[in-house]
Amino acid sequence: MTTAFLIQTAASVVAVLFLAWLVKAMGLGSDPRIADADHAIRLAEEAETGFGGVDVARDRAGFAAIVRNGEGRMMLVRAHGNHFAARPVDRQMSARLDKDFLTLTPPERSFGAVTLQLGKEAGVWAARMREIPGG
Amino acid sequence: MDKLPDPVTYAIPAFLLLLIAEMIVSLRRDRSRYQARDTLTSLMLGTGSQVASALVGGMVVGVAVWLHHFRLFDIGIEFRTWWWAWILCFFLDDLAYYAFHRSAHRVRWFWASHVIHHSSQHYNLSTALRQTWTGFFSLAFIFRLPLFLIGFPPAMVFFCAALNLIYQFWIHTEAIGRCPKWFEAVMNTPSHHRVHHGVNPRYLDANYAGVFIIWDRMFGSFVPERDDEPVRYGIVKQLGSFSILWAAVHEWVGIAKDVWSAPWKHKLSYMWREPGWSHDGSRMTSDMIKERWKAGQPDEETVE
Repeated sequence: MTTAFLIQTAASVVAVLFLAWLVKAMGLGSDPRIADADHAIRLAEEAETGFGGVDVARDRAGFAAIVRNGEGRMMLVRAHGNHFAARPVDRQMSARLDKDFLTLTPPERSFGAVTLQLGKEAGVWAARMREIPGG
Repeated sequence: MDKLPDPVTYAIPAFLLLLIAEMIVSLRRDRSRYQARDTLTSLMLGTGSQVASALVGGMVVGVAVWLHHFRLFDIGIEFRTWWWAWILCFFLDDLAYYAFHRSAHRVRWFWASHVIHHSSQHYNLSTALRQTWTGFFSLAFIFRLPLFLIGFPPAMVFFCAALNLIYQFWIHTEAIGRCPKWFEAVMNTPSHHRVHHGVNPRYLDANYAGVFIIWDRMFGSFVPERDDEPVRYGIVKQLGSFSILWAAVHEWVGIAKDVWSAPWKHKLSYMWREPGWSHDGSRMTSDMIKERWKAGQPDEETVE
């Protein structure tokens, strides 16, 4: 690699950092929340066509939700940037109950752990986690 | 090999200015079109792609020059004499791009490299620069090799490929609705390419064109954008992460894990079958998603 290329690359990185800063400085972006159960069901459906959610545990702040379908399968939906991302809740996902809070940790580290404030429902959904069929 | 300037280098200032212009438009119309961390990831992936190209570009040029020795026709590079060859080269290079791009969505090995470009849930000009780091490793360059065997000089082909890449920059935007009808009929446009980046079942695996949308119309992969169905962007299994490295390699990691754990007779299939394929049917390909979606639609909804 030539010196010119290294300078060009360094200049690119500076420009990239400037543009990312500019996005923030301009106030672009949003703070998406899951508005209600219907919204959570729609997001689960978008993540898996035909999922058919029927039951929802929504985080009090609307940051995340667990959606259960008629077959008893569950989907974790959480905010990601301006949008949402979802993962199936299966036996590989660990759950920790702490009073009103349920923390789900998927095996995929990059997705990160998600803590939902569910109030009294937290225990109910933690129990449902234990009913997930093995796989 | 003849030396021609790299048009992309000259286009970079325009890219930056257009990015800022699009941000201003977003500020007025819809602030959620941009997100700082997403933009940072996209642009850093673009920068990384430039570094990767610099590291392996010489090898691609070497293969091109070597193959050109076995050419069928002697085609010169001087524009005044060979202007028709330039036009033909641009046209055929775009056809080669279509073949590459379609394969990049239908063969997991190529998808592992191309998925980077689709991994943002946003659709803005920074997404255009979210480019692969592993294109050489995935052998994406093989789709252009027939051009060198025909006899098009490598410098001409690489110049045309760069123009193709520059053209595709401006179509990565929600700031432009529809272009004039005649233009939409022939050229790839923001509307057509929004569909290509869509994860709505209706929009999956469509509009692979680079410059000319005619290839999709000819080969049956064209799907128009519908006003009643806004495009949702990204990939079927959204990343849920802004990690630059993970965006660049996650599908390769997925292939490695699948090949490692699959029964022997299925190992290769995890590389060459379509994304989402699994030997036990536990995952869904785009065709399966579409089928399931169609099954849940009223009849008139699925008519295209």
